[in-house]
Formats: sequence, structure tokens, C-alpha cells
Amino acid sequence: MLMSSAPDELERSLAACANGDRNALRHIYDVEAGRLIAIAQRIVRRRELAEEVVQEAFIRIWTHAHQYESTRGSARGWIYAIVRNRALNMLRDGKREHAIEDIETLQEKDSSDDVMTAWYRLDRNSRLYACLDALDDQRKRSILMAYVGGYSHGEIAGRLRLPLGTTKSWIRRSLTALRECMA
Amino acid sequence: MTFDRDNIAAVADEYVLGLLEAAEVADLEAEMERNDDLKAAVAASRERFLPLDTTVEPATTDETLWQRIERALPEQSASPRRNGQGPANDNNGNGWRATAIASLAATVLLALGLAFSLMRTVEPLVVAVLLNDAGEVQAVVEDFGNENAAIRLLADIDVPADKTIQVWTLPSKEMGPVSLGLIEGIRSTRLDGPSLPLPKDNQLYEITLEQQGGSPTGRPTGPILAKGWARLPR
Repeated sequence: MLMSSAPDELERSLAACANGDRNALRHIYDVEAGRLIAIAQRIVRRRELAEEVVQEAFIRIWTHAHQYESTRGSARGWIYAIVRNRALNMLRDGKREHAIEDIETLQEKDSSDDVMTAWYRLDRNSRLYACLDALDDQRKRSILMAYVGGYSHGEIAGRLRLPLGTTKSWIRRSLTALRECMA
Repeated sequence: MTFDRDNIAAVADEYVLGLLEAAEVADLEAEMERNDDLKAAVAASRERFLPLDTTVEPATTDETLWQRIERALPEQSASPRRNGQGPANDNNGNGWRATAIASLAATVLLALGLAFSLMRTVEPLVVAVLLNDAGEVQAVVEDFGNENAAIRLLADIDVPADKTIQVWTLPSKEMGPVSLGLIEGIRSTRLDGPSLPLPKDNQLYEITLEQQGGSPTGRPTGPILAKGWARLPR
């Protein structure tokens, strides 16, 4: 997958943000906002909620840029994690519940498409692809539903028609297998 | 929630996948502040799953979202710890620049001092930034006249257990240095000084290290920790 911005460029942008350079934040927006909105939207479903997530995330990127440490992972990973956390918090606050009531059928189809699209777009030569592919189909899907769609244990259990306890231990074991496979 | 060595990688994964409950998330984020192993495990987990995000089809973007972000951005202040604490830099006007003492840091701190004073109903008559011999900012004094002054320490000053910091000003050569009071411990404090002429532009303020209870002579006897000259808020 071709990246439109080298990771060290994002690192420099974060450092410039910490020094009060708004152009650096604008640069991050130009390079990443499209993907960040899409990532948030996979979790919160509605475009306006996704934009709200990204707006809050950019404020946090700006105010916390000085806390980024390059020894703790990539600048891109740090930025994406902020967006993911805002989106997941919005879910926990219950905003998506309203969306589900509004447009249940449509959204159900869309979100399961999103989850599988993320799988199909993954680089076939990547470690993550190989290791997810080694899991059986239901387990792979449950990991993708959680990470890509922001589904809870209960939601995954419901959709896969499995008892909650079984789902939890499945996911836990799948994650262990993934860690070992990717180590 | 436990963060045993065996458990850390599993908990980190569940956190990154968003599978933890709100209370568990709060626990974990607090623990991450002090547990480097957990921090590293979360970072590693993020990197493992990141390709699922970087390969997403980008949504269309427009200028209005950026404009909303830009309108909501707080000023980035000189010290990162002060983030989000209000309009610290909004007062960084020409009046302060013209009277900046020595360094850009001092200029910014003057502005902070002014902003601090502007946020209250009573304005100080003068503000003095106190520097040590190395030119580093140590404290800001605000003198309100009326026997009232306030000092904020802006650096960690090492005070031995049997010593105290005393604040002084020099209203005039004739009067000589006059004590404004002692700083309790090493905190910022309000001072109730003696009745003095109203503070003026360029009046000297300084802090010295004195014995417990303050200077026995009523004049500074210990080493000068920092000094500076008053400026009138413009």
C-alpha cells in the first residue's frame, strides 16, 4: 500500500504542532483527514458523527502533540489511535444507538460490508493478512467486527448467534494466536 | 482489572480493539501512565492492527470541517503543561514586547503574568518578573499597592528545611529594601506587606534566602535568589 506521506514527515508535523505551527496541523489534515473520517465512520456509522469525532481528535492532536514519543510507535499509529478512541468513546456514550434505531436495516448491511471491505483491501503480503487468514472464518470475522466496526462482545455474540461467554473466549484465544503468529 | 505480566498483552489487545468497558478503559489509561510494559504492549498492538486502518478507502473531505477545527483550536502556549488554560498568549502585545527583559521566555512569562492578572477583578499596579543570575525566570510578583502583593514561583527553588524565602522591594533609595513578607514553604502566596508608597515602573523586587521567620535585621542578609524590575501593565 502506497502511503502519501512518509511516517517521519508526520513525526515532524507533530513536533511542529507542539510548537504552535497551525500549518503543520493543516498538513496532517490534508494528508490524513479522508482516511480518518472513513475510519471513524466505520465505527460511528453516520458521516456527521464521524466528522464530529475527527474534529475532536484534531483538537486533541493539537493539544497533546508534545506527548507523542517516537519510541512508542509511529506518528501515524498515534494519530489514528486518537481518532479510534474518540469514536469508541462516542459509541460508549450511546450515540450510535440512535443511528441504529433510525436506519437499522440499511446500517446493518453497510457495516458488515465495511468489515469485509477492510479485509479485502488488506495487503495480501502483510503479516496481518497471513495471520488473520490462518484463523477460521468466524474467528477472523469477530476480530474484524471488533476492530473495524467497533462492535462490543455482546454485539458480536448476537450477530454470530453465539453465547456471550463463548464469544469472549474465542476472541481472547484468537488474539493470542494472532500475537504469536505476528511475533 | 489486573495488569500482570502474563495478562498485559491480552488486555492491551482488547483495549486497542475497543472491547473493554468504559470503567476498564479508564483503569487501563490510568495504569498506562505509570506502567511502561503496558504502554509498550498497547503501542505494539496498535501497530499490529494499523494496516486495517491505513488501507481504508479515504472519504471525501472539504474545507468546512477544517474551518470548524481551526476555529476551535486553543492557542499553543510556551509551556506544554499550560495547554488549554486560557488565553495566555492573547496579551502578548507591543507594550510587553518593548519591555521584555532579556529573553523570549521572559517576554512570554510577562504576558502570562499579565493574563493572570487580567483574569481577576483587581488589577495589579505593577508586575515584576524575577530572574536568577543565569537569566532564568524564577517568579512573578504582582503588586496591587494597598499593602497587597502576590508572588507566583515559576521554578523549583531548593529551600533548606531551616530556611525561608523572603520577598523584598526597593520603593526608593532613601527607604532602602522593605520586606513584603515570607513565602510559606515553596509555594506561591499572597503577601501582606507594610504600608508603602504606591509601586512604580522600574521598582526593584527580589527574593532572598533567609533564616526561618525572616531576616533578623529587617534587611536582606541571605543570597539573592532572583530579582527583577517592575513594569506597569499597559
